[in-house]
Amino acid sequence: MPSVSKGAVPERKSKARAAQTRRGLLYALPDWAMIVLLFFVPIALLFIMACSRWSLMGGNRGLNFPDNFIAVFENKLFGQSILFTLEYTVIVTIFLLVLGLGLALIVQESSKWNNVLRTCFLLPSATGLASASLLFYALYSPQVGPVTKILSFFGLMDQGGSVLATGQSALWATIIVIVWRFSGYYMLLMMIGLQAIPGDLYEAARMDGAGTWRIFRSVTLPLMKPTIVMCLVYCVTGSILAFDQFFILTKGGPNNSTMTVVQLIYNFAFDSKKDLGMAAALSLLVLVALVIINAIQMRGMRDNTK
Amino acid sequence: MAFKNVARTLAGVAAVAMLIPLAACGGSGGTSQTADIPAKGTDDGTTITLWTRSPLERQAKNAVQAYNKSHKNQVKLEIIPNDDMEGKVGGASQTDSLPDILAGDVVRIPYWASEGIFADLTEQIDGLDNKGDLQQGHIDAGTVDGKKYTLPFITDVSVMVWNKNLYKEAGLDPEKGPSTVAEFVKQAKAVANLNKDGVAGSYLAGQSGGALVFDLFPSVWADGESVMNEDGTEATLDNTSMKAVLDGYKELADTANGLGAGSKEETGATWTAPFANGKIGVMPYPNTSCTALFEAEKDGGFEVGVTPIPGTKEGKTSTFLGGDAMGISKDSKHVAQAWNFLSWLMGEDAQKEVFADNGDTASNIATLKSAYDDADARVKTINSVIIDGNGQTPKAVKFNEAFNAAGSPWQLLIQNAVWGNGDSLKTDNQAVTDVLSQ
Amino acid sequence: MTTPLWKRIVARVLQSLLALAFISPLIWVIVCSFSPQPGSAQSSGWGVANYLTLFGYQEGLPVYLLNSVIVSAISVVLSVVVCTLAGYSFSRFDYPGRNLGFMVTLSILMVPYASLLIPLMVWYKNIGLNDTLLGVGLVITLFQLPMSTFIMRNAFDAIPKDMEEAAMVDGCNSFQALLKILVPVVKPSMVTVGLLAFLEAWNNFMIPLYLSSSGKSTLPLAMVNMRQQTMGVIDYGATEAGVVVLLIPCAILFLALQKYYVKGFMAGAVKG
Repeated sequence: MPSVSKGAVPERKSKARAAQTRRGLLYALPDWAMIVLLFFVPIALLFIMACSRWSLMGGNRGLNFPDNFIAVFENKLFGQSILFTLEYTVIVTIFLLVLGLGLALIVQESSKWNNVLRTCFLLPSATGLASASLLFYALYSPQVGPVTKILSFFGLMDQGGSVLATGQSALWATIIVIVWRFSGYYMLLMMIGLQAIPGDLYEAARMDGAGTWRIFRSVTLPLMKPTIVMCLVYCVTGSILAFDQFFILTKGGPNNSTMTVVQLIYNFAFDSKKDLGMAAALSLLVLVALVIINAIQMRGMRDNTK
Repeated sequence: MAFKNVARTLAGVAAVAMLIPLAACGGSGGTSQTADIPAKGTDDGTTITLWTRSPLERQAKNAVQAYNKSHKNQVKLEIIPNDDMEGKVGGASQTDSLPDILAGDVVRIPYWASEGIFADLTEQIDGLDNKGDLQQGHIDAGTVDGKKYTLPFITDVSVMVWNKNLYKEAGLDPEKGPSTVAEFVKQAKAVANLNKDGVAGSYLAGQSGGALVFDLFPSVWADGESVMNEDGTEATLDNTSMKAVLDGYKELADTANGLGAGSKEETGATWTAPFANGKIGVMPYPNTSCTALFEAEKDGGFEVGVTPIPGTKEGKTSTFLGGDAMGISKDSKHVAQAWNFLSWLMGEDAQKEVFADNGDTASNIATLKSAYDDADARVKTINSVIIDGNGQTPKAVKFNEAFNAAGSPWQLLIQNAVWGNGDSLKTDNQAVTDVLSQ
Repeated sequence: MTTPLWKRIVARVLQSLLALAFISPLIWVIVCSFSPQPGSAQSSGWGVANYLTLFGYQEGLPVYLLNSVIVSAISVVLSVVVCTLAGYSFSRFDYPGRNLGFMVTLSILMVPYASLLIPLMVWYKNIGLNDTLLGVGLVITLFQLPMSTFIMRNAFDAIPKDMEEAAMVDGCNSFQALLKILVPVVKPSMVTVGLLAFLEAWNNFMIPLYLSSSGKSTLPLAMVNMRQQTMGVIDYGATEAGVVVLLIPCAILFLALQKYYVKGFMAGAVKG
């Protein structure tokens, strides 16, 4: 990088800095190469598509900004899918964070028994989202799965019905898949946070006569804040981008009631509209929204770690 | 600063990178040369690729096997899951990597053809000796502005099937299926009244627009009514026939065991399974799945009856001429060889070998009339609904979005009419029109 | 402090039930894949007919397995190498653009991959990567970068700087210091990164769906395809068998490497 040596800093220091820069960039080079080739280029292409009349079969037919964005805003599923995605995100986030922390508290101390428990909770995380969804698709099916039989035994649903039948129950059925698949993962993240809390803090609290709940509230929770915020960022981002599970379990149905935003992108591109331009426009909107949401959350994280 | 340099380099790379794909995408549209193809195509040992969707895998495999056995050219078949077909075709179209021959759901073909992904075959198709015998719906579907792009690949029609065992139990004549919509409802209710565990009168794929058009349109056509205007830009689903059919299903939905459990939310993935498992009295059914029923019957399964789908008045029937049509893609580099496959399959011999001898439905009327002498009487019934010419294939560029797509306005229309309060047909029909007329 | 015995027993029982809730779906699917079921190849008696269906599906199970193995190997090797180097760079070197690099890497998390796949298809055609297993492996690696680079950077951050400074004084260059001194220390995190990459590559189906043809599809894609094979009838038996086949290597690797996995996360997330 020739431009580096032009600085007004003393020669030796600048040389050392130049070496640092050169090495630093060299090690980051593979990372950058992948990002440029596989991330920046497609994103740039995405921008162009969002501003073009670009149908699935017909390809690029020239710029048409801002028609795609208007079409997205005018689509009646747009608002609906945002609301649904937010509802899903809130529920999943609450469940995963609470369960993650709860499980972590149960298995926190190292013992043979706890190791077994940990393994049980973590094992679902080893399955892929697609295979987990397929697995639950079979579990929920009225033909072969036990779920319908159990629920109808308790009189909670009709015989031969499916939990994926109504919007509400399909939402919860999907949430169960996600909670099953990801609880262990968040448990692990929480456990790590817990283990970073110095043991003598608990000791001191106990000496002061604090009960279990009191200790949890005034020692554990405040010190876990950075970990919780980090989990929050992952969980919110992941949930807003939810796709695989709905794609396999509900396809956005019944009657569009489980249509997430990403599912809608897919729907615009390949199903209802076959319009890559509209799909790209919606993708861009999602991208911008996520950047904003994450910026807010990250700020929260920074303030808390001070 | 170094960062600036990096950024500049990145910007440069990105700019160059963007230009390449744009240049590549500039000239899509029918580019294959079809002018100098011999009438029978060329058979010179070329490998031809063929895509079709998964529901018709068995028939497609039979066709490809028979061709490969008797020709130097070899067809390589690729089966694409039904739901991913459009995405896959669209992606391949973007990258100019479509297969030589592309077969697709006939209701999707008008859109594909209008987007220019097929090569123009007007001259070749018009040059076929037996063009008049071929299933016209599949040729019409791929006709845009007078140019013909497609021929029938696999024909799938809808027929009414009933479970004779359940009919006997319900005290119905097991040899007589419904001849009007009213009779259909009456017979379904009789089976429902058996109050048997898991058994229901009929079944409907409430979340599958594709299965719903396949099941319900024929009754409307049988009455001489239409579902859309000629151009496919306006829905006419609020006619009295459609209303009568929907009211019939609503009556069943309101009856205990009238419609099989899961009807309302059936997405089409398992819509033929309840009948195949012997749990349903009577329902419209795809003929491509009938073969499996007949085989199960031979192995000791329940007895199946088949009759054409009736309208509201006795004596008139119709069917949905569905299945896959095929054309040669714009990206094919072996047009003459691909045409060899197409023209071969249109011939009576091939139709007999590939379809008739396997108990499937041919797309050539001459074959339908001649090659099924030893066949099951019910297979002849199925063939008759094609031969009689009452069947139709709906054609609209926006058909998929209006009818087939998940959550389409047509699907919502059915949900409201059958499981809702049933009084929003007019506004729901307008919602379908809104999509069709875009 | 001693908890009364009955309390401990109640706790144990509750904990066991909870653990059972987590693993019962896995047990169920394994049992069902061998059990008799109407509408599948294994319609009466117990046996492996569902697995045989899987074996003979289209190109055959071995082809899909091999494809999956290749894609997984590419993703694992690339993820470990790229993320270790990038983590080293972002943790140990102070240079302009460092934070930018890290933030950009993290920002990959925010892009729904469904929306990147179409531009990628077009782009791959231009660089000759369309319908290649390498192309699929590269995209999977791309989506591993944010989390894994994060883990690796934090793993390096957790090592005191004097360790490799001592080595440098002894005449090692930065690369030798990395290989000889640091890699042994961050190994658990590297195993985690590799394991995460494997789990993703082994299980992902959307990326191969758009980037590869049927001869190049990976196992999960073949599975999802097979689920909707015959009109109207889902072969649940074969689906269950497929889930088991997908599950087993993941579960084995996971159980074998669990210690590393937890440790790697620890090193990675302490400073979260």
